[in-house]
Amino acid sequence: MTREGTLKSLHPVSEQWRSLDELSGTSEAETFAASEFPAAWDEVPTGQARRDFLKVMSASMSLAGLGACVRQPEEKIVPYVKQPEDVIPGKPRYYATSFTRGGYGFGVLAESHQGRPTHVEGNPDHPGSLGATDPSIQASVLELWDPERSSTVIRRGKPASWDTFAKEVLPSLEKIASDGGQGFRVLTGAVSSPSLATLIRSLRMRFPNAQWHQWEPIHRDEVQLGSELAFGDIKEIRYNFAGAHTILTVDADIMTDAPGRLAYARQVMSRRGQGGDTGLRTYAVESYPTSTGTVADHRFQAKASEMGTFLSDVAHELGVDGVGPGHSPLEAEAKAVAKDLKRGGNTSAVVVGDHLPAEVHLLGLAINSFLTSLGTIVEVTEPVHIHPQYKLASIEQLTKDAKEGQVQCLIVLDANPVYNAPSHLDFAQVYEEHIPLRIHAGLYQDETARVSHWHLPLSHYLETWGDVRAYDGTVSIVQPLIAPLYDSKSTHEILALFGGELSAKAADLVKGYWEAVSQGGDFEAKWNRALHDGFMADTRLEHIPYPVSEAANKVKMPPSEEGLEVVFRPCPNVYDGRYANNAWLQETPRPLSRVVWDNAIYMSPKTAEHLKVKNDELVRLTVGDKTVEGPVWVMPGAAKDVLTVHLGYGRTHGGEVLKGAGFSAYPLIESSKVAFGARVASVKRTYEVVTVQDHWTLQGRNHVRHATESEYRANPDFAQEPKKHVLPLSLYPDYEYTGRAWGMTIDLGACNGCNACMVACQSENNIPVVGKAQVAKGREMHWIRIDRYFEGDVEEPKFSFQPMTCMHCERAPCEPVCPANATVHGPEGLNQMVYNRCIGTRYCSNNCPYKVRRFNFHLYADWDSESLKAQRNPDVTVRGRGVMEKCTYCIQRIKEVTIQAKVDDHERIPDGKIRTACQSACPTDAIAFGDINDPNSKVAKLKKLPVNYTVLEELNVAPRTSYLAAVSNPNPELGEDSPKVKAHGNHH
Amino acid sequence: MMAQLFPPSANTWARASIVLVLALVGSVLALGYLISDSPYKTRQGEARHQPISFSHRHHVESMGIECRYCHVHVEESKFAGIPPTHTCMTCHSQIWVDSPYLEKVRSSYEKQEPIEWVRVHDLPDFVYFNHAIHVKKGVGCYSCHGAVDKMAAVYKEHTLGMGWCLNCHRNPEPNLRPRSEITNMNWRPEGETQAELGARLANEYQVNPQDNCYTCHR
Repeated sequence: MTREGTLKSLHPVSEQWRSLDELSGTSEAETFAASEFPAAWDEVPTGQARRDFLKVMSASMSLAGLGACVRQPEEKIVPYVKQPEDVIPGKPRYYATSFTRGGYGFGVLAESHQGRPTHVEGNPDHPGSLGATDPSIQASVLELWDPERSSTVIRRGKPASWDTFAKEVLPSLEKIASDGGQGFRVLTGAVSSPSLATLIRSLRMRFPNAQWHQWEPIHRDEVQLGSELAFGDIKEIRYNFAGAHTILTVDADIMTDAPGRLAYARQVMSRRGQGGDTGLRTYAVESYPTSTGTVADHRFQAKASEMGTFLSDVAHELGVDGVGPGHSPLEAEAKAVAKDLKRGGNTSAVVVGDHLPAEVHLLGLAINSFLTSLGTIVEVTEPVHIHPQYKLASIEQLTKDAKEGQVQCLIVLDANPVYNAPSHLDFAQVYEEHIPLRIHAGLYQDETARVSHWHLPLSHYLETWGDVRAYDGTVSIVQPLIAPLYDSKSTHEILALFGGELSAKAADLVKGYWEAVSQGGDFEAKWNRALHDGFMADTRLEHIPYPVSEAANKVKMPPSEEGLEVVFRPCPNVYDGRYANNAWLQETPRPLSRVVWDNAIYMSPKTAEHLKVKNDELVRLTVGDKTVEGPVWVMPGAAKDVLTVHLGYGRTHGGEVLKGAGFSAYPLIESSKVAFGARVASVKRTYEVVTVQDHWTLQGRNHVRHATESEYRANPDFAQEPKKHVLPLSLYPDYEYTGRAWGMTIDLGACNGCNACMVACQSENNIPVVGKAQVAKGREMHWIRIDRYFEGDVEEPKFSFQPMTCMHCERAPCEPVCPANATVHGPEGLNQMVYNRCIGTRYCSNNCPYKVRRFNFHLYADWDSESLKAQRNPDVTVRGRGVMEKCTYCIQRIKEVTIQAKVDDHERIPDGKIRTACQSACPTDAIAFGDINDPNSKVAKLKKLPVNYTVLEELNVAPRTSYLAAVSNPNPELGEDSPKVKAHGNHH
Repeated sequence: MMAQLFPPSANTWARASIVLVLALVGSVLALGYLISDSPYKTRQGEARHQPISFSHRHHVESMGIECRYCHVHVEESKFAGIPPTHTCMTCHSQIWVDSPYLEKVRSSYEKQEPIEWVRVHDLPDFVYFNHAIHVKKGVGCYSCHGAVDKMAAVYKEHTLGMGWCLNCHRNPEPNLRPRSEITNMNWRPEGETQAELGARLANEYQVNPQDNCYTCHR
């Protein structure tokens, strides 16, 4: 019997599976299960004789030995000339600033080591982040230090300077200004910065007829139009789920895409965790599995075009005046949902996805109005964005005017329309052929920069001043941590330049604006307070009880479409493509699919079967007369006949990292993010899509435990293993932890698989990226991974997430097998990895049941790029080749706090003072860390909950990290055995 | 009958060569060990050439300037701090203002360009030493850095190797002194022996150094 067979006979194949390969027991999954590093065998030299091998071996051993005799290289120590008063070398400082995406701000605290930003964390007081982050915020620090960022002014492809730009361009603007600036246009993204908007408006003093256009490929036009239809004008619609009882999301990923995603994730998920009885029930209807839907109590699958009719069914059942039934395929479910919504009354709400048509948004508002939840869960405010435009109409107008020769000069400010404008506009061609003066300002020399006359390098948010509003309107200040690395200017400074102020400083422009609008009081004090806190107090936009127009009830839903439809979504990692050159984001597996470095055409197994295509098969995807070519990836849980494509790939300019990553789907997009009548044809070639879903498998057991609330009530100990399997024996007496004992709990009821922890860990612990080819061999280096499991039906599976990192086992199996004593146990229970002792046998990894150890097969860390050196956390060793590494529970953070406590003479460390990087990043508070010997610590209390369990308990290794089983709250009326909704209980 | 290939003496040669090979391998290993632990490798005792011939002997012993006047962060940070040029200029804008020895200091200050000193006490990058906690627990500057007040050019008094660190981490008492005497280069225990004092201070300062790997390696 093979080893595989043995394992299978010991453990029946579990109900939880990670991939279709694993479910069907085919090649790839088994390769990864059978040997830890399957591809390593490829690299054993085969063409050489034994003698050659011995020669090379002895030579390398003696060289390695000689290496130890080398004198230590001379190092320099460079003090300040004049040391800033408040800087203490060796102690990081933290500054509040704001990260901006899509015109919405997220408050962060950036860590600065003697002026070098190395890490960002959420600002706990900021309403937009509540102390959490998402992967793109975490990775923004790498963007700052990216050696490929634009560093100089470019004139027609050749380096130039700001002076030549001012000398050559500004006079030519005089001519345009003389006729009122008719041909002067500015194109920006969505803007919520009050000071920037004022600068744009003040440009009109010089160019009264100039126009301001806006373009965001991931725009929210439909949401805006829905609000305009409902309220007569564009309004901001935001949510406060804190008191919600029933939430229905209609193809809406409120935890990944929404402007308030971090707050929403906290409000929803923190109530679902800790096995808690919260009274909160969430329903999700989705065309593709998302972080929001996969953790909902009920998840239904429908095509994007069926969402409107589904919502009509809900509205009809609720009794919303004038709304007839939509007769969607999910009519029965819609009725049950409607009943539940009605029960919740003003604590219920419907959320509609950004890409759905405005009519659906309007109906959503009508339902919320009917439920009287406007003002409780749903809040309507004045727009957060300044001069909110319909982005599509705006860029269409710009293109039309350009074609008509009305655009003399276009300034593209921090946008990349040549890459991502709607395809029917042929923007790239119009831009090049019809606009006589094209100026682009951006962080990278991207596709638009390439065809512009001038490219101006833009400053990163960590190196300049600015301001932005959060989703709830709170004004946050962007303050720099470092002077610009290159000769760059901020958007503010560039606009001031066009206004004729050649040497305006962003600091003065931003502060000057707020001083001018400040009403009474001591401005300096207020300003310093805002810089310290990261936001301005009392600038939140309040809910205004606008009535929803009666027309809303009479809106006609777009009919559901036959045939294949394509839904274009922002990539959860690289967004619209602007982060494509960020290697951390490229290598972090996409949530759900766990694909790295690529996008793909995601479809359900049935759809793939129907189209006769399979994984990795390259196909031509045609919509109308436009075609793109991309690989197929089969995604259980995708709705039938829906193809989902993530945007942001197939970039061609702006760095080496982004080259070769995926294909661009922008050529298929015209006005809507949902396209109908798609056709798929195989080109009979394959393209390797790399996914980590089968890597580091703990094969064959149910590692995620969950139950419904009624099951939990009947059996609160459902998550516990029957004790007979556990043999509490060891040859040695257990070590007694008399002092502190570090431990962690991860709440599976709260985790939504968003990946923030993975990138936070990467940033904190100097974890290198390895590239797609190495990931394919199972060599990704992430210390924390998120295992995603499917369960149940292949077409409509249930999903669960399990963050997995070093468990710091008290009887760690990795320790006794190390011949070099390079992994040992500490007195506080940490399993310590000592890089300088490691000789790379990999025995420890082999013996690790959780598969959480990572080996540097090559020199993965970049030791050469100067700017990347500055990014690294100076408190963590940068590892070299041939060394094993793994999660340390952020030992550098533990040491920082414990040593400081001793220096300050207070031995007691308050619970929560030490936060690991993953814990800090988590939007849903799923991770708790602390001293388990302190009975009052949060982690100790959580570990006493009946839902607390350890993975692979039967191995008797006593892991310090335990999990809290998830408890869902399904609607009994939908029947736990309903074919559509499988609520899986505990199978132990 | 065929002649024997090997004469009887071959046995001796064979035995001798086994011994010789072993001795050779052994001596190569021993040599490597000796080199790796030698002052040549560790640079122990090697006075380093600095861009400016700054003399600790002159400033500390003759002028009586206290360590913390320049190394200001030693009590609060892992890094003791190297004085900025500004610190030099607090005095040298008043005295020795024209000294040719100080040309580099003045030009650093004028041009706002830092002075690049050669690091003498240089631990490997995977070692994380913290000054503040050592000072707090009563380990004086002298214990690790030696008699800096006698050094014209600073050199490493000790190897700063791991074995040397562990000696003290496993038995700190011989190296403890009252906190008030931390920077005193000439301090000797008075009225009690070092053994008595060490035991008393270890208790009073709660000195319980750890010797697990994560104490220094992260």
